Parts: sequence; C-alpha cells; structure tokens
Amino acid sequence: MTTPARTSARAAATRPRPPTHHRRTIRKALLIGLLIGGGILMMVPFLWMISTSLKTRAEVFATPPSLLPASPQWQNYPDMWNALPFATFFFNSAKLALLNTVGALVSCSMAAYAFAVLRFRFREPLFALLLITLIIPFQVVLIPNFVLYRLLPHPFSASGNWIGTQEPLWVGAFLGGAFGTFLLRQFFLAIPHELADAARVDGANPWHIYRYIYLPLAKPALATLAIFTFMWTWNDLIDPIIYLRDISSFTLTAGLALFQGQYVGKWPLLMAGALVSVVPMIILFVAAQRHFVRGIAMSGIKG
Amino acid sequence: MTGLGRSASRRSGPMAGEARWAWLVLAPTLIGLAVLSAGPIIATLGIALTKWDLLRAPTFVGLDNFAGLVTDDRFLKALRNTFFYTAVSVPLGLSIALGVALALNQRIRGIAWIRTAYFLPVVTSTIAIALVWQWIYSPDQGLLNQALGLFGIPAQNWLSDPTLAMPSIVAMSIWQGLGVNVIIFLAGLQAIPEELLDAASVDGAGRTARFRHILLPLLTPSIFFTGVLALIDSFQVFDQIFVLERPRPTDATITVVYFIYENGFKFFKMGYASAASWVLFLIVAAFTAVYFKLQGRWVHYQ
Repeated sequence: MTTPARTSARAAATRPRPPTHHRRTIRKALLIGLLIGGGILMMVPFLWMISTSLKTRAEVFATPPSLLPASPQWQNYPDMWNALPFATFFFNSAKLALLNTVGALVSCSMAAYAFAVLRFRFREPLFALLLITLIIPFQVVLIPNFVLYRLLPHPFSASGNWIGTQEPLWVGAFLGGAFGTFLLRQFFLAIPHELADAARVDGANPWHIYRYIYLPLAKPALATLAIFTFMWTWNDLIDPIIYLRDISSFTLTAGLALFQGQYVGKWPLLMAGALVSVVPMIILFVAAQRHFVRGIAMSGIKG
Repeated sequence: MTGLGRSASRRSGPMAGEARWAWLVLAPTLIGLAVLSAGPIIATLGIALTKWDLLRAPTFVGLDNFAGLVTDDRFLKALRNTFFYTAVSVPLGLSIALGVALALNQRIRGIAWIRTAYFLPVVTSTIAIALVWQWIYSPDQGLLNQALGLFGIPAQNWLSDPTLAMPSIVAMSIWQGLGVNVIIFLAGLQAIPEELLDAASVDGAGRTARFRHILLPLLTPSIFFTGVLALIDSFQVFDQIFVLERPRPTDATITVVYFIYENGFKFFKMGYASAASWVLFLIVAAFTAVYFKLQGRWVHYQ
C-alpha cells in the first residue's frame, strides 16, 4: 500500500548525499557480519554436538583439545543405538506424539466450534474458565493428576492402575486443551457466518457445518496446532519421568535421561544420542517453518 | 465490518437442537476441565492441607505444610534461585532478542537462513540441549573452559560453583529461548508502518531518535506480550535443572518446580509438594497481576 510516498521520500533521503549512502553500506556490511557471527554462535552447541559425537573418548579428553575428530568414528552411532533400546524409544515418542496430535485436533476443534459458532447457556463463563486454566502453571495440577491416574484401574498394568502405563501421556489430549481451543476459536470466529447460514438453509445440522465448512476452512490453524502438539509431546520430559516405569515404555526424552545417568562422561555416545533425538524435530521445523513462525507470532507459544 | 454483517444476518432462532449439539461436542473438554485442569486446582489446595504418602490414608494437618515450607532451607534456596533466574533471564533475554530482531528486520538475501540458526534451539528438546551444555560447561575439557584457556583464564566449575551455577543455567536458557522472542519482535516490527520511520528521517531524526521515539514505543505491546510469557515460563523452569542438577546433588541450582518434583515423586510427600505448588502459583499470579497493572505506564497501544 501507498509506496509512492515512501519511495520518493527514500530517494530524496539517499540521492543527494553520497557520503551518507557510503556510510550506510558500511553499516549494513557490519550488521550482516554481526548477524552471521551471532548465527554461528547460536549454532556452536549443535556443531560441538556433531563434532563430539564422531570423536574417540581419548580425543575428547586430549590436551590440547581438537575441534574436529581426526577420523570420524561412525561406529559411535550404532554403539549408542544399541546401548539402550533406542528404536523402542523412537517408536514410543512417535506413537505418543501422533496420539496427542490427533487428540488435540479432534477435541479442541469440537470445543472451539461450540464456543465460536453454537449458542448455548453458560457459553461465556465456561470459556472464561477455560482461559483461566491456560494461565495456571502446569505443576499446580501435577499431583492431583498423578493421584487420579493412580486411582483409575488398568487391566494390563503391573500396578493395576494407570501409573507405569503410557495412558496418562495421551488420554488427556482427547479431553480438550485450553491453548488449542483458544487458537482454533479465534480462527473460527474469522470465518464468515453466511457460509454456515447458507448450509443451514439447505438442511445441514451443526455437525455437518462443523465437519464440512469449519474444519476444511481452518486447515492452516489446524496445521499450526498439530505441529506444536507434536513438538511439545516429543520434547516433554516431566510427564514421562513421572509416569513411566518400564524401560520398554520410555520415550526418547526419558531414555536420554536414563542414558545420561548410565554413561556419565562418555560424551561421544551421549552427544550421538542427543543428536539422533533432535533430528526429527529439526526436519519437522525445516519442512514446516512457515507454520512455526506464524504460530509463534500469533500466540507466543514455544517448546 | 464483521460485527455489522454478523448482526444484520444473524438468524432469528437457534438451529434445531443447537444447544444439544453444543454440549455433545463440548463433552470431552468438560470432562477434561473437571478431572484434569480446573478440578485439580482445587484438589491441590485440599491435598496441601494433608500429610499423604499415597500408601496410607491422608491425615489433615491444617497449614502445617505451609509453615514447614517457610522454615525449609531447601525451599528457600529453591525460591531464591527461581527469583534469580527470572530476574536475570527475563530482562536480559528480552533485550538480546530485541537487538537481534532489529538487526534481522531487513530485506537481505539469505536472511531466512540466519533466522533459522537463531530458531533451531527452540524446537530442540531441553534434555538434548542440556546434555550438550553439560558437556560445554564440563570442568574437564569442556568447550567453555578450553576457549577461556586460550585467553589464560583458569578453568571453572560452571555448574557446581554456587556463584556460577545459576548464571550458567540462565545463559543456556537465554540461548534456547531467544528464537521465540525474536519472532514475536519481528512480527511487531513488521507491523510498524515504514512511512512513519521515513517521515521521521525526512524531519531529521537520527537513528537513535527514531529508535527511541518511534520504534520502541510502537514495540511496547510486543515487549509486554513476550514479557508476560517469559515471566510465567521462567517461574516454571524444570527440564534443564533436572538434567544438570541430578548428577550433582549440591542444590546449587535447585528451583521450585524441581523441589515440587522431588518431594512429590521421589519422597512421596504429596501434601508438602502440593503446598509448594500453591505457593508458586500464588507468586506467579501476583507477579502477573502486578505486571498487567503496570502496563498502562509504559505500553502504548496504537
């Protein structure tokens, strides 16, 4: 919009004063240098992780230290992978992340639809209650949730209740979530009302309108919620260490915590494990950068 | 515009069975509220008034748990560390993020790649990150000590020295969280009309003046927004403490959430842990309320 005024102002500011222009170029070059330097600084821990993961143990503690491995020890990766059941950890993390994503998409979109479109008693106070739970820190509900899952009977668990099973790590996702509901409600509110009215005239019921009008139109917001839910579950540490007991049920984060305890000082293997655990998230991020950036700019959420 | 269109075309009556449909699609959320989020907030307060190890029936002890916390040196230390973490990481993290966002806010080829570098730590799990930093901070041959050794600075025990431990964790957390704040600031910067800045420079405003009198005031909503998120977030710091504190039970970096975790799930003092979580909740609520109250003094909405 209205670029002519801006370009002319800019031209007027730059054209008649070559020294300023020159100084501006230098400043810009400096700035870019600083940015690249900062970017490299940000990458140092990752580069150090990669470099260490390919070193021998002797190299890691050598004086003077080496920046790069003399010859890459690719064997560290299979060694790490077989030290603990990492394939199982991967499978568990992926399974739980997918279950949480599906649960959040289904339950939050339904609730958001009710709050944004349908009319019913107590709509406003219920939504306010949901918003309050958004602000409350998670550790306030940590202990009652644990107590609840300890009371629930479970047919296949050694304890007879839900402790030690993976169920506490995903069932809750199907019971709504304040963040997802809020995000999708905002999106639904922006969808023109006339679409639903037209469908209603044609005999559609509220479920049809949700399924065939609101859900398809909300795809970008659903994608944002899916990506963040997947990332949160994948990176979650406190819930797996509280609820999981048996190593075969561990997620990658819980597995890494165990690995850390068992392989103290064996940095090449630990770094290999850390690197392998973050690769899926980095791929997801690069593939869906747009959604990440928009989701954060929209809501300020993070990992 | 939307509001007008909506009220004009608002249908006369509700859809057939609209309220019934609403309760149906809301059912999962209502169950979740009752048993997993809103309900448990009350339950925590109840549990906080008891002594309960999960094995025997809980016994009512009144406010004993809260009285115990006040005289518990570990809890006070956890509080101090958490306050320190918040007081340093929030303002410092936001200032650095603002600087980076200002620098990144221009059209240069390849800027997306640099932005990715700043953002990568955000999507990475804290445990993986903390493992790397544990190695960077390691007293024997860690990267940081090696780098400082080049300048003749003696090796430090970054994570077990009581004065260095919390600052080391703060540095790591700022590094990890930087990307989130940068993105919010960038969104705020991109919403500022360029005409305003150009007009100011035509009027002779220098770089500093433009920053102070135009950019900064217009960014205050973004600063406020990132501030409240960082504030709430920093009081809940746990993952990095769990990874870095566990191998060295020196308590140098114990935080309130770690204290809650330990008492609840290692010592099975459910009442005591619940009391600590309520104290934390009240502190976060009080800080957030004050923060919101003060926003009128410095936040400019357009």
